[in-house]
Amino acid sequence: MKALTDIGLLFRRHLVQLLRSPIWLVVGFSTPILYLALFTPLLKHLVGMPGLPAGNVLDLFLPGILALLAFASGSGPGFSTIFELRAGVTERLRVTPASRFAILAGPILASMLLMFCFDAVVVAIGAAFGFHVHAAGLLLLCVVLALLMATMAAFSIATALATGDINGFAAVINGLNLPVLLLGGVLLPISLGPEWMRVLAHLNPLYYTVTAARVLAAGTFTGPAVWQAFAVLTPLCVAVLGWATAVVRRAVA
Amino acid sequence: MTAVIEARELRKRFPGGRDQAIEAVRGVSLQVARGEILGFLGPNGAGKTTTLRMLTTLLPIDEGSAEVAGLDVRRQPGRVRARIGYVSQLGGADELATGRENLTLQGRLYGGRRADVARRVGEVLERFDLAGFADRRVRTYSGGQRRRLDVALGVVHEPEVLFLDEPSTGLDPQNRASLWDHIRGLRDRGTTVFLTTHYLDEADVLCDRIMIVDHGTVVAQGTPRALKQQVAGDAIVLVTRNTDEAGRAAAELAGQPGVRDLTVEGTAVRLYASDGAAALPGLLRLLDRAGLPVRSLRLSEPSLDDVFLRQTGRSLRDAGDPAAPAPGRRAPDHGVPDHGVPDHGAPDHGAPDHGDAEAVA
Repeated sequence: MKALTDIGLLFRRHLVQLLRSPIWLVVGFSTPILYLALFTPLLKHLVGMPGLPAGNVLDLFLPGILALLAFASGSGPGFSTIFELRAGVTERLRVTPASRFAILAGPILASMLLMFCFDAVVVAIGAAFGFHVHAAGLLLLCVVLALLMATMAAFSIATALATGDINGFAAVINGLNLPVLLLGGVLLPISLGPEWMRVLAHLNPLYYTVTAARVLAAGTFTGPAVWQAFAVLTPLCVAVLGWATAVVRRAVA
Repeated sequence: MTAVIEARELRKRFPGGRDQAIEAVRGVSLQVARGEILGFLGPNGAGKTTTLRMLTTLLPIDEGSAEVAGLDVRRQPGRVRARIGYVSQLGGADELATGRENLTLQGRLYGGRRADVARRVGEVLERFDLAGFADRRVRTYSGGQRRRLDVALGVVHEPEVLFLDEPSTGLDPQNRASLWDHIRGLRDRGTTVFLTTHYLDEADVLCDRIMIVDHGTVVAQGTPRALKQQVAGDAIVLVTRNTDEAGRAAAELAGQPGVRDLTVEGTAVRLYASDGAAALPGLLRLLDRAGLPVRSLRLSEPSLDDVFLRQTGRSLRDAGDPAAPAPGRRAPDHGVPDHGVPDHGAPDHGAPDHGDAEAVA
């Protein structure tokens, strides 16, 4: 009960912080829109080529952007953690009897809410340009995105606490970003690549999210992509949250 | 005496580079009575902050045991947290939130009900002279206002024990005095206060009892008065023309009746005499006859620095972490704190430097 109250309190605290830093809101909203505006035109002529699924270019590409957004929103919270560590905020919270899980979950949920706002904007703009909206599929997709985002965010915060400084943290996160993005099939389906790439992609949680996102956004619930995404992301999310809570519990910096 | 804080043989090591573990705290035992202000005095890197962080559950205790408010810190950290308040060197208020929002969140995290917390926040805002700008964002606060808010955050849930880590670092004299008044006010309300400081005047003026720490151990403890009486006598510093003459002067003075604890520091000779004022003319005549003129001199009643010097062989001002000498070290100068010297010890924080200048309001 106390844990739930604490999650609520810390969720509100982080949400207020996010809303009071307008620059991040601007960046947060503009990034996915830039992807839509500056990348979709490049894909126009690819549709229908061998290896690529047929169909509207936005139907193919927009689900990938949603997965990308979940991934990027998940990497972000660690940066605030570094700042709060430096400013003594983390220490102040850790010395209160607040639930250790709530100290982790509060910021994750606040960033997640913001992510869903960005998602809604992306879908609305996409729909105006021909993206086919399948409401039920998108709703289930939200759960997949939430799992990926929470996993990444917990990882990001725990890494920030463990490294304690911006250099170490940025090195880990940036070093991870590129391979994960390239092997996720976000921009172009990984099915275009050679076999070793497709094998490697199966170690990447983002890959499962993207694949499931394409299927779900098309309104299909059956097929291996959907259950595989849940089978991979759910235990991963639980494990990473557990580890991150342990890091909050004994964080030293 | 009922002890509110009791620690036995606390030890903490930090892994250093190649096999060089740093033993930050080496067997600290202490007792703090209910309702007293205890000062943990020592140079940067002495293990003050590390000890404090162990007592406040922030750092695992390697060896030894500690009880705070009757609860075992190792076994019941959650319950200890509920009974204590802690204000770090960095403060840690949310800059984007208002003072009132900060205090309200803090009170609620300690489990207070909405209405109770609102009432207590109102009280604390009044008590710490924050009411006038309670609804402004903390970012706009001046250094002194900020510090009062930090302390208010530590007491909004009315803890039995308040831990303050270097509370007055970076404050100007006026704000320091005001902060001390607030801390005394807390004690008068029955709160036990445990604070670390490397300021002699702060320890002397504010604390009921002092523990002097150096290299992770307690080297002396007692009331400021009792500690200074240990030194028995007045300190005399005679500055000669050069280091060579200082050495010769020391040799001349060494045999004199009533002269004790003679040391040479550069061009200066420091010694203690039971009645300094009466001894001084004789000592000066002696040096004059030996052809060793004294350029300047200082006679002072024993200070806590003399206590520190006697216990450790070093002056507290010069005793900072040798790995990271404070920039622009000042000449010894009694009673003037060197502001804004951050704790450089590995286990301690980076550079807290708490708003050295007053921020524009």
